[in-house]
Amino acid sequence: MTMTAIDIQNLTKEYSNGKGCRNVTITVGEGEAFGFLGPNGAGKSTLVKMLVGLIHPTDGEACLFGDPVGSLAARQHIGYLPELYRYQEWLTGQEVIQLHGRLCGMSKQEADARIPMLLERVGLGNRGKDRVKHYSKGMQQRLGLACALVNDPPILFLDEPSSALDPVGRMDVRRLLQELKQEGKTIFLNSHLLEEVETICDRIALLNNGVILRHGQVHEVLYAQTRWHFKIGGFTPDILPWLTETSGIPLQILQSGHPGTGAVTASDSLQDTVWLGAVIDNEEQVGFINTLIVNQGMTLYQVEPVRERLEEWFMEAVSGLSHRGEHE
Amino acid sequence: MTAVIGMTWKELLRKKVLLMTVLMTVLFLIVFWFIARTIGASEVDTSSPSAQLVEQYAHGAALLTLGFFFGSFILAFLVIFSSFSSISGEAETGIMQSMLTRPIPRWKWYMGRWLGYMLFGIVYALILYVSIIVIADIHANVPRSIAVHIQSYLLFALTVPILVTLSLLGSTSFSAIGNGVFMTMLYGAGWLGGMVEKVTSTLQMDPEVLKTLYNITGLISLIMPVDAIQRKMLALLLGLQDLAGMLDMSGSMTAGFGLGEIPSASFIVYAAIYTLLLLAWGIRRFYKRDF
Repeated sequence: MTMTAIDIQNLTKEYSNGKGCRNVTITVGEGEAFGFLGPNGAGKSTLVKMLVGLIHPTDGEACLFGDPVGSLAARQHIGYLPELYRYQEWLTGQEVIQLHGRLCGMSKQEADARIPMLLERVGLGNRGKDRVKHYSKGMQQRLGLACALVNDPPILFLDEPSSALDPVGRMDVRRLLQELKQEGKTIFLNSHLLEEVETICDRIALLNNGVILRHGQVHEVLYAQTRWHFKIGGFTPDILPWLTETSGIPLQILQSGHPGTGAVTASDSLQDTVWLGAVIDNEEQVGFINTLIVNQGMTLYQVEPVRERLEEWFMEAVSGLSHRGEHE
Repeated sequence: MTAVIGMTWKELLRKKVLLMTVLMTVLFLIVFWFIARTIGASEVDTSSPSAQLVEQYAHGAALLTLGFFFGSFILAFLVIFSSFSSISGEAETGIMQSMLTRPIPRWKWYMGRWLGYMLFGIVYALILYVSIIVIADIHANVPRSIAVHIQSYLLFALTVPILVTLSLLGSTSFSAIGNGVFMTMLYGAGWLGGMVEKVTSTLQMDPEVLKTLYNITGLISLIMPVDAIQRKMLALLLGLQDLAGMLDMSGSMTAGFGLGEIPSASFIVYAAIYTLLLLAWGIRRFYKRDF
């Protein structure tokens, strides 16, 4: 049985301007990767700051491996990359990591011994001897990851860990997070990059206006319904009711959009070629529909499952709701 | 805590404020050297041994007063401008956020910063003190008693913990720029209060007016005791209280040195307690603050 790494019970931080977050209850198991999503201003960073001891909660409680958040024991368990990451620009990268190590109770020698490995791991290589003032934003973010990992903590709180990185840097961070997850680290990830969350996280929660709107397993969210798309040539519209009736599955002509192929309308570039879509539970039904299509003399160009993207889940969850962030 | 002290020293050694202070100090010491040489070379009344003694003493006293008047400015510049943004500035830029999540109690962080700035300032105060004394001694008579120098230096250096404490406390409440302005204004107010005391001590004024002025300057000294401590330090260094029994010190001589009212020993005790209370208040504010 996995241990609870992060246990949050009705954690609340209320500000006089109405911002903050209210009654957030989440548990994250050891070794789990948890994605925390929400529009700007939803209160995600406030929650993370309470968990790492930077903000005092107004109500509720939270523990990290049983130790109350903010306590020294709880802070022994964590590595944190803040959303607003900046490091002493008068220090070198190595000195910043060494300082973080020493603040974690490591000796200078212990910290120094880990520095080359950490620099290599976050992709800073031999830039450790440069002063931080010569670092780009992306390099500072990588340095922040190295600092978060200096004490080899079991829990990582990462607030937008790749926001300043280029696509290559994002891939590097994604790979690093996957490695860390395989090593058994518990990861609490705040990110607007939903692909990153999809790839790394086991569970997600969506915060809006300070309250948890939805939560669940990533695979449940992404595979709750499996849609299948069929690209058919020689299609005539009157065959659709027959197909639906014979297969027992409601099929429809896709009027707009198709993942991976750009905008597709009822009529594709090929004459009488359309995309049909249907929600289908098992592959046997897909095979049956394929047979029906081919038997009717139509050409079946392509059949593919289309899973729901986290972005669609996110948009659907927050659509129609007010957000107190930048959209106000 | 040693890691925080070490970080603070590295910060001070690598930031431009120290370079500026060193340049100001070198420039000041060069100018002070020439002033000291000029004063030292001026003719002394040799009509009687006592007159000669008094005049030589006056030369030395004038030099030391001048030297420590500007020396205290330089010291205050270093202390205020190196520490005014230490908390709010680091919180605004985001440096603080990753550091404070480390398993170190907040009071230790605060004390580490306080000790870092304070020890650095005290060492700089020692360099400045010795430089002023050596230059003045080359060109004029200055006291040679080690005990007097130790006491004077300790009073000179006492301004460092007071300024660091106020600066860090301000930094827990105000923005970096706001605290810089606040500290400069506060130091300026303390200096102005001292100036008012010095000027009024030489003027014949209505006792009621004097009383009101002394109340105002006294209040300022309570909030910013640095200038009053500097006066106490100079009075000790120049032995004004000892000379008061031998020479007529009623007004003109002390006023001539620009010292005005000399604070009592109790005032030093007050300043020490005041600093400790402000330090405790700063730690409490830092502990309660959200980042």
